[in-house]
Amino acid sequence: MRVTAPIVFAGLALVAAPAAAQDHDHDQDHRIVLGDIIRTSLKPGAYQGRNNGPEQTEHFSRKVKIGRDGRFSLSNIAGDIVVTTGGGDEVSIDAVKKTRGDKSELARVQITVDDRAGRVDVRTEYDQDRRDRGSRTNHVSVDYTVTVPASVSVDLHSISGSVKATGVHGSVRADTISGNVTLTDVPKLEAAKTVSGDVLLTGITTDGDLTASSVSGSLRAKGVKARGIDLGIISGDINVSDVTCERLGVKSVSGNVEYAGTIAKSGRYEINAHSGTVRLLLTNPAGFELNANSFSGSIRSELPLTIGGDSSARSGSTVRGRRDAVNSHSMRATYGDGSATLVVRTFSGDIIIAKR
Amino acid sequence: MHPNETILNDYADDLLDPVERAGVDQHMAACAACRQTVEDLREILGAASELELREPPVRAWSRLERAIKMEPRLESGARGFPLDGARGRQPGGSGGARLKGSRSMWIAGLAAAAVLVLATAVGVRYLPANRTDATPAAASAPGGAAQSGAAQSIETELRQAEAHYENAIKGLEAIASSEQSELDPRTAATLQKNLAVIDQAISESRAAVRSQPASEPAQQSLIDGFKTKIGLLQDTVALINEMRKGNEAGAARIASGLKQKGT
Repeated sequence: MRVTAPIVFAGLALVAAPAAAQDHDHDQDHRIVLGDIIRTSLKPGAYQGRNNGPEQTEHFSRKVKIGRDGRFSLSNIAGDIVVTTGGGDEVSIDAVKKTRGDKSELARVQITVDDRAGRVDVRTEYDQDRRDRGSRTNHVSVDYTVTVPASVSVDLHSISGSVKATGVHGSVRADTISGNVTLTDVPKLEAAKTVSGDVLLTGITTDGDLTASSVSGSLRAKGVKARGIDLGIISGDINVSDVTCERLGVKSVSGNVEYAGTIAKSGRYEINAHSGTVRLLLTNPAGFELNANSFSGSIRSELPLTIGGDSSARSGSTVRGRRDAVNSHSMRATYGDGSATLVVRTFSGDIIIAKR
Repeated sequence: MHPNETILNDYADDLLDPVERAGVDQHMAACAACRQTVEDLREILGAASELELREPPVRAWSRLERAIKMEPRLESGARGFPLDGARGRQPGGSGGARLKGSRSMWIAGLAAAAVLVLATAVGVRYLPANRTDATPAAASAPGGAAQSGAAQSIETELRQAEAHYENAIKGLEAIASSEQSELDPRTAATLQKNLAVIDQAISESRAAVRSQPASEPAQQSLIDGFKTKIGLLQDTVALINEMRKGNEAGAARIASGLKQKGT
């Protein structure tokens, strides 16, 4: 059975659920159940990195040869990570353990550096009893300041703390659960994610795809060029400007979405928002086919669109045309050469298309 | 020392030889946790035999693959049980921890499977994206009888899809609620808040579908809401799973999968 058993069990839960469970009005039940889940996990003292006493610190410093094309990874639990670049072929790791509890707690938190050919892996490790949320070591946080050769690839993970990287020209992946992710001048960014916090991307140029997401926070990107961009957020705004990409995928539940940038010929841009306004500010667009709809929001275009691909229905600031192509909440239209594809959907937010 | 998950799976599958089986029997006689695990597995087997075979869409595998990757031991296939030297032994750590790991493994599988089965049940059938917009006005237009019938069919399919999503959500919530796990309070609060945001979106979309059953934006919004909630719940379960195992680095990596689902 091995792996198949759990899969099938879920199938049971889904397919063979009792009929009574298929009542459609279960939102409240879901909230109650989940509330129970969350409440059971609300335990005090986790990863707060603080107590009531004066701050106690312990410094850690190490330099390790990594090579110019090496790979560096850092997994932290509580505390911030800052990565910058320098010359040479070494990675410089400076860390400060902090606690406001007893100084002896600091010794129970270890910084482990695994050094292999072309690869350096750093981890923060707590004593075994760290998982007891009331244990003393949970009051220790570790802030890292790391300098790597610019061409090194970097992989940064944190549980509670912000992650910041600047000037890394190797591939970069950065994620945290609680904290901001700030990446500047990292041309080979692959992913930047947080659960609770903001993502700020500046000066990204990559031939590949990049992904950025937050459950709760904001996503902001400026000066980004990538083949494909995927952005996702549940609550918070998405704001991207000076963006160039061939494929864009944006999903948002609660929050506004603004895209300011170019659209490529044959590019595909899909934006799906529930309650926020979607605003597309396009720089010299050659043309696109638009498929937009909203349940209760309005659709407006400041660009002259050809409704349903029929040039006789051209319009100006507000589009009106054939009933099968457009109604108050739905529009199919073409602009210019129609070479790109724009698919925009909202439930209650407005859709606005304008020239930048 | 407890038998590992593979041994218990094989025990439930009746794949062990008599000597191995006797060893597990002897252990379970004094171990309620292992007895419970085997009972769970047998329950799964019994239920599985009653399931209809369905072919999942290709995209369903990506999430399954991700869940499997979350559990490196699954790939290593390490086995260990003191009753059988040929099977090797697990490295140090308490038996309790291993049992927790075992449970964690199939919980991760369950979370992935919930989405897999959901996609199987709903993903192929309900594909409104390329359909012409069907508004109430259109449905009542001249010659609209066929359209009305189509709209009714769509509504029926939507209700079926809703039921599947509801069940998937229930399944995931049940998995999560059974795990009294240890998320950071702020993270837990964030997840709770955002699940409430999704619930609100679902509620609005459902009301819209009820008032305008043929509205494609309303239908699509409702389906999107379900997908998003399932995605977040699935990742919440995975996150809890990693935290429970004390694998904070793994949890951080799970965070990299916490994104909008439904694409």
